[in-house]
Amino acid sequence: MAYRVLIVDDSPAMRAFVRRVMELSGFELSTCFEASNGQEALDLLRQEWVDAILTDINMPVVDGEEFLRRLAADELLRSIPAIVISTDATENRISRMLSLGARGYVTKPFLPEALRRELEATLGVPCE
Amino acid sequence: MNNTPLRQALSESLDDVLEKMFFVRSLGEPQDQGGEPAVTAHLSFEGDPPGWLTLRVATAAARSVAADFLGEEESELSEQQIGEVVCELANMICGSVLSRVESNKTFRLGTPQLLASGIAVIPRTATTHAAEIGSGALAVIFNTETPACSTAEKYES
Repeated sequence: MAYRVLIVDDSPAMRAFVRRVMELSGFELSTCFEASNGQEALDLLRQEWVDAILTDINMPVVDGEEFLRRLAADELLRSIPAIVISTDATENRISRMLSLGARGYVTKPFLPEALRRELEATLGVPCE
Repeated sequence: MNNTPLRQALSESLDDVLEKMFFVRSLGEPQDQGGEPAVTAHLSFEGDPPGWLTLRVATAAARSVAADFLGEEESELSEQQIGEVVCELANMICGSVLSRVESNKTFRLGTPQLLASGIAVIPRTATTHAAEIGSGALAVIFNTETPACSTAEKYES
């Protein structure tokens, strides 16, 4: 099975990198959507269904925290698993994002396999 | 000031980010750290303590790391793409350093900005680290608004 993934990050370079890393890692990606902040992501999610969301925290307009809050408050969207990708590896931040509904947390820098593992664990992909 | 534990955190963070996200290894300290044209990114962070980080990357090295990061040929890259990648590199190094020295606190990183003319004066309180990656040198300057000794002591322990 191949998956539809939404990358939410205000850095076009980072979005391109995450997309490339998913492909390099062997993760089964069918379609990759991109949004530059939480609001764009919510708008896109009303048009397209995705299997997982990878989101940054520090973004303009609607940041990662508010994005997770709005996802959790939306009956239709709350079941989509969101994984945070951030440079912030402080314990406070990680526990805060998990408490807001994030299903996983990947700290930058990360190896391609680490992102794949987190995605597959979140999606319940059986180990090979 | 070149606080040794903080400098070690800078060094480890730079090496970690370069290896995992850019697939390049640091070759140690550069012979010459000045003079050549460079792309410079700067970002501030809020927290306890607040501060800033500036990253200066020699233009040739910036082009090379941008190509590695984006998986594209150097010749196909725009100046904007190179600038975005240097900003992202600065962001990752800053987050990594803060997580190493203040793992139980919360910081808010600002958006990295490119500086047109680099940094004029390096404060005495700043910690610096430079590395050569083959295509040129990178230099990181990290400064907190309160003395860095508290963070350094925590990192040491």
